[in-house]
Amino acid sequence: MVANVQKRHLISQISELIRYRNLIRSLVVRDLKVRYKSSVLGFIWCLLNPLLMMVVFTFVFTVIFPAGGKESFPIFFLAGLLPWQFFANSINTSTRSIVDNAHLIKKVYFPRKVLPVAGVLSHLVNFLLALVVFFALFPLFRVRVTSWILLLPVIILIQLLFTLGLAFVLSTMNVFYRDTQHIMETLMLLWFFLTPIFYSLEDAQSVLIGLSIDLRNLIYTLNPMASFIEAYRAVLYQGSGPCFMRLGVTGSVTFLVFVAGSLVFDHYSSVFSEEI
Amino acid sequence: MSVAVEFINVSKRFILHRDRPRSLRDLFFHLLHGQWRPPSETLWALRDINFTAEKGATLGLIGPNGSGKSTALKLAGGILEPTEGHIHIQGRVSALIELGAGFHPDLTGRENIYLNGSILGLSQGQIRQKLDEIIAFAELERFIDVPVKYYSSGMYMRLGFSVAAHTDPDILLVDEVLAVGDAAFQHKCLDRIATLRRNGVTIVLVSHDLGTIQSLCDQAIWLDHGQLQALGHPTDVVMAYLNAIARKEEEKAASKPLSGIQNDWRWGTGRIQITQVEFCDGNGAPCSVFVNGGPMEVRLHYRAEERIEDPNFGLAIYHQNGTHICGPNTHFGGLYIPFVEGEGRVVYRIPSLDLLEGTYLLSVAVVNGADTEMYDYHDRVYSFRVYPGKSRERYGLVTLKGKWWINAADESAGVIEADRLRSNEQ
Repeated sequence: MVANVQKRHLISQISELIRYRNLIRSLVVRDLKVRYKSSVLGFIWCLLNPLLMMVVFTFVFTVIFPAGGKESFPIFFLAGLLPWQFFANSINTSTRSIVDNAHLIKKVYFPRKVLPVAGVLSHLVNFLLALVVFFALFPLFRVRVTSWILLLPVIILIQLLFTLGLAFVLSTMNVFYRDTQHIMETLMLLWFFLTPIFYSLEDAQSVLIGLSIDLRNLIYTLNPMASFIEAYRAVLYQGSGPCFMRLGVTGSVTFLVFVAGSLVFDHYSSVFSEEI
Repeated sequence: MSVAVEFINVSKRFILHRDRPRSLRDLFFHLLHGQWRPPSETLWALRDINFTAEKGATLGLIGPNGSGKSTALKLAGGILEPTEGHIHIQGRVSALIELGAGFHPDLTGRENIYLNGSILGLSQGQIRQKLDEIIAFAELERFIDVPVKYYSSGMYMRLGFSVAAHTDPDILLVDEVLAVGDAAFQHKCLDRIATLRRNGVTIVLVSHDLGTIQSLCDQAIWLDHGQLQALGHPTDVVMAYLNAIARKEEEKAASKPLSGIQNDWRWGTGRIQITQVEFCDGNGAPCSVFVNGGPMEVRLHYRAEERIEDPNFGLAIYHQNGTHICGPNTHFGGLYIPFVEGEGRVVYRIPSLDLLEGTYLLSVAVVNGADTEMYDYHDRVYSFRVYPGKSRERYGLVTLKGKWWINAADESAGVIEADRLRSNEQ
């Protein structure tokens, strides 16, 4: 093994990640364990948290603000909110992942990519557990499950890659400029409203700005999260197939983001131990 | 013999960010003033370093603080990458650079073993296999399911060392970890390192404890300001290093003028004055570091304004803990000096210095023959260090050069003389 090959190929990077999968797993387990440590219910919170959140939203949207237009609005809403939370929490954690683990980076060698990857994967685990609770609500709202639901893993996988690509860039930026993590908090809030989570794209009114550009289409085209949420909603709520053209475009964008993110990360990761 | 660690023309430059824009706001102001990059200084932590460590060798790095020792170790461990040059590493590296790096305070000792083990590159199965051994070595059987935030720092260190020392590395990097913990723990660490060494693990060790370097290493490297000063047999390198330190200290001391004759470390009538005291090695070259068993010379320079008859020059050697070890003088040594007048020097030569490793203090004095008038007395003003040379003795202050033998009832007991055993090993 030659330890100091400056530019490693993407493939050997990935194979190194696979060799260190044990470390990724340990870090994910650490995150999960620490989150629920010294609480009486422990791991039950993994399921209880999303359940309580869903109960609150169901209560709000059926009793306090009964949403007229949509049938079983809580399902409609949660099908958008859960993937969004996976995304937002992942970005939040992984942006800080390098800086938060400075003590490790300065003292031990391991592929630095492990850190943002573990940050994202620990939220993936939470997301999957939340989906389990979510499915349990289906009978309550008489949601019909179709075979389109088999596409769910594919959508999750594409979203995962997109999140990882972004996480690589942001965690790198945060090493050099700590402002990144603060700016991202605001940007994520804006992004939340620009993503059709409590509305659907069809409902969003065409907002005309200046040169008569349709803001709705603009959001749709530029925002991969919008496309993901629509896809989730199609397979989970409507029981129909997602728009494959849009998903294909988003998939290509995702691929580019992932590769670019990886390259940026690899280019700068050799100086992380000096910069933090 | 194949090479385990090889540095080829390795240089490492650090950029010292002075007034570095840590935030976008600062960056904005820098741009406003037309500066793309803030002024920054560079520091060459290592410059053109070449060395190799063969498989199974133990290599020691010594040097003052800031000399680049730890940087070299981090480069070898892949934590840093060289600015110039190449580093070749053959085998799996484990670093004892910071014990317990990556322990999470909220997790139990057991959970942290899994976490830390995987950070160090072990698989889940390997950790499970070694778990009992790791816990036993750290002597933490009772506390292993307690979160480490409740551990004492000693327990924390023991667990950290135990995990790192059980990763079965091909190459082990050790940075000053031996300086932590109590004596028993240090002994255990050294013992473990010796075991790994016997098993053929290549070890690169950074330590300020020169005794450790001499007793553990096959080869030593002395770094200063990022430059390689010496490379070779540990005793030679350590001696060269200590001589350099001593020279620097003497230069510093020389710049301080001595005050008058009557102060708390010097007294006497001054009719004969000791003007200078020199320590020299066997060849008469000034030196303040000696090896056990090697030669030593002490030279007393004097000046007498008038003719003084039958003076008695003497020394007293103290261990730095205050023990008075000996007090030779010219009368005891059978040297009768009829008179002195003007300048001259008196030399005391020790063919074989039988003091053990340590720092020693020297007093010098000159009195009249009847021991009734003290002309000049310098009380424990001079110091020198002794390092272990060929002697293996470690306890007490002196070697008595006795010889051991055994009279076994049965002649077939197979007695090997200690001298022969020693020469075989060398």
